[in-house]
Amino acid sequence: MWSRITYTLRETWASFKRNVTLTVAAIITSAVALLIFGLTLLMQQGFDNLLALWEDDVEMVVYVRAQASEPQREVLEGEMERQQGITIDSWEYCDVDCSLDVKDRVLAGSPEIRDRLDENTNPTFYRVVPTEGTDLAELQSLAAALVGVPSVISVNLAEDEIDLIDRLKDFVGQYTFFLSLFLLFAAVLLIWNTIRTAMYARRREIEVMKAVGATDWFIRLPFMLEGLVQGMLGGLVACGALWFINGRWTNGVAEFPISSSFQAMVVGGGDVVTTCGILMGIGALVGAIGSGIAVSRFLDV
Amino acid sequence: MIRLENVTMTYGTDVVAVREASFDVPKGEFVFLVGPSGSGKSTLLRLLNREERPSHGSVWVAGRNIADMPSGRVPHLRRNIGNIFQDYKLLPNKTVFENVAFAQQVIGKPKHVIRQQVPAVLEIVGLQDKHERFPNQLSGGEQQRVSIARAFVNRPLIMLADEPTGNLDPGTGEGIMRLLDRINETGTTVLMATHDQRIVNAMRKRVIQLDRGVIVRDQARGVYD
Repeated sequence: MWSRITYTLRETWASFKRNVTLTVAAIITSAVALLIFGLTLLMQQGFDNLLALWEDDVEMVVYVRAQASEPQREVLEGEMERQQGITIDSWEYCDVDCSLDVKDRVLAGSPEIRDRLDENTNPTFYRVVPTEGTDLAELQSLAAALVGVPSVISVNLAEDEIDLIDRLKDFVGQYTFFLSLFLLFAAVLLIWNTIRTAMYARRREIEVMKAVGATDWFIRLPFMLEGLVQGMLGGLVACGALWFINGRWTNGVAEFPISSSFQAMVVGGGDVVTTCGILMGIGALVGAIGSGIAVSRFLDV
Repeated sequence: MIRLENVTMTYGTDVVAVREASFDVPKGEFVFLVGPSGSGKSTLLRLLNREERPSHGSVWVAGRNIADMPSGRVPHLRRNIGNIFQDYKLLPNKTVFENVAFAQQVIGKPKHVIRQQVPAVLEIVGLQDKHERFPNQLSGGEQQRVSIARAFVNRPLIMLADEPTGNLDPGTGEGIMRLLDRINETGTTVLMATHDQRIVNAMRKRVIQLDRGVIVRDQARGVYD
């Protein structure tokens, strides 16, 4: 068993060295495709951060002063109760801890700004879900009424923010997704071609192996492993590039004005690690598909 | 050891390579397959090696009908068959020792067995002193000896030789035949396709003659014509 493993690894390595140009081309193509795919995932995560306030059909966010007292909030809640069943379906209060959690996501790119926020400086807020059928004019009129309540700082309507972010998210997401799919297809073809070339270079060896009774899997395995490793190396290179780009973006965004909202587009290290895992998995899959097709198509054992 | 029963092999719809071939080869026999080019000699060897399946009929090797043998069992069948080729099919980047050892490596023989059996078989073919040479440092006859060593190292029950002397001068060819005869004397069944009239006439072994896919003669201690 051990001799078979060492044989497989040795042959895989020998094949890498023999087809170094094609192998490098296949790895670079996989890496570029996976990098674009990884950037798509991170951008989607960034857009999701921007939309964090507007999850679960929330159409309106009412910001309350950081140190608003319980009675002051009761006045606001009384106002909203009067509208319940008419324009407001439900609301949810995001208290100090909850609103600081949201800021953790939104200000991931500006930790120094986040550090300045505490229960005395960070406004809490209400997420308001309007009743079905409430139109924009009614929502604007409701917002105007609520903004007059003394503890309220401002009222943001989803209509103003979500549409823009959603459109941007869809636009960027679709184009980068299809571009990465296209490039992944190119990577599959390149790996397929590399494996085919490797098999052609070793055709006499394969012929002898078949003649002396090597099993199908013994012959196929080094080629399949080669494709798999190419895909995974592509994933590894893409991960390195993704880590670098994300680091540069995070540092760059820290210098942007807070009002630009770009801080929310920064993705934390945990998400990058998860994305890297996904990229390695897809890289392995691309390699396995490319080499698998080549082996079953050209290795008649 | 080998039995063919009414074997027909057709390529496409109208090219008949072998037609209704039937014969038995007992264990330890040496058989020449003779006939002009395209008469079906190589197709018969490919059928015995399960590189081809017959269109009709049965091919029995070592007690099993290999015509309907599942593909997964074919490698195990081939471990009992040694193949010798006209063009040797040696791996140019491997030494004599490595070329022979390769036949054992790829079927998972442990290193200590390889270290023991390869020198022994190199001694049988007379190349024990040239085990570190590469194929391009050997003569044609020596290369064919390496090919025979590789085919014999796993001690197969059957040796299939397709024109093994075709690329060699008469003197070297005779040396190869002496070697195949020695291997046959160990009990290995040998089937050899050849055009070499002189060798067939000198050896006086069983001769099966084919003409356009049909067996036209099956003669014990036969001659070429």
